[in-house]
Amino acid sequence: MQSRNDVSESLAGRYGSRKSPPPAADLKPYPMATRVIAVVLAWLVPGAGHLVLGRIGRGLLLLVLLVGSFYFGLFLHGKLYVPVAADPPSPIHFDLISILWSFAQVGAGLCYVVAHAIGLGVTGRPESPTYEYGNTFMFLAGLLNYLVMIDTFDIAAGRRR
Amino acid sequence: MHILMMSLYAAVTATVLATIESKPDNFRQRLIHGLKVFAAFMGIGLILSWILFPIPW
Repeated sequence: MQSRNDVSESLAGRYGSRKSPPPAADLKPYPMATRVIAVVLAWLVPGAGHLVLGRIGRGLLLLVLLVGSFYFGLFLHGKLYVPVAADPPSPIHFDLISILWSFAQVGAGLCYVVAHAIGLGVTGRPESPTYEYGNTFMFLAGLLNYLVMIDTFDIAAGRRR
Repeated sequence: MHILMMSLYAAVTATVLATIESKPDNFRQRLIHGLKVFAAFMGIGLILSWILFPIPW
């Protein structure tokens, strides 16, 4: 009977070409605390995770694009979504679409919190011709920032430059 | 207005996706990747708009 190591080696030999390439020697993983801090910062301020990890150009570009996109959406009379109670009542209590839209916008981190705190876009202006454009840009900023957070973690874990 | 907003949306998305894409090794490859994403957004958007135009709802 083959031991577990033998089986592993046999499979590795058979599927060797499918293995992911080894990381480059200069890619050094950061400590777990730094990874967590970088990801949290990346959520709070889009691009800040990259800045903390020394990717200054990338971080600044993401900061300008994502924060700009979010506030451009507010400028176009977009609305800040919060989960609201379902009407008629549902088993999950909240209206599902409001949960999804809130999730998309919350991805922008402090942009969302600050806009909420100063009352920007809290009521929304559905009668405005740019209302839907505004919402779309705000969703875009939040959802792209989730991808940026994943990228930040990958950099901190030493998986990419 | 629609085409302007679509272009802006595609430009922002393409730039961010090209920035965080891991495969390109240099700036030129990253730029080409971003342009492809931008073109895909614009092309698919225009095709969908032509397909949906005759539908009355």
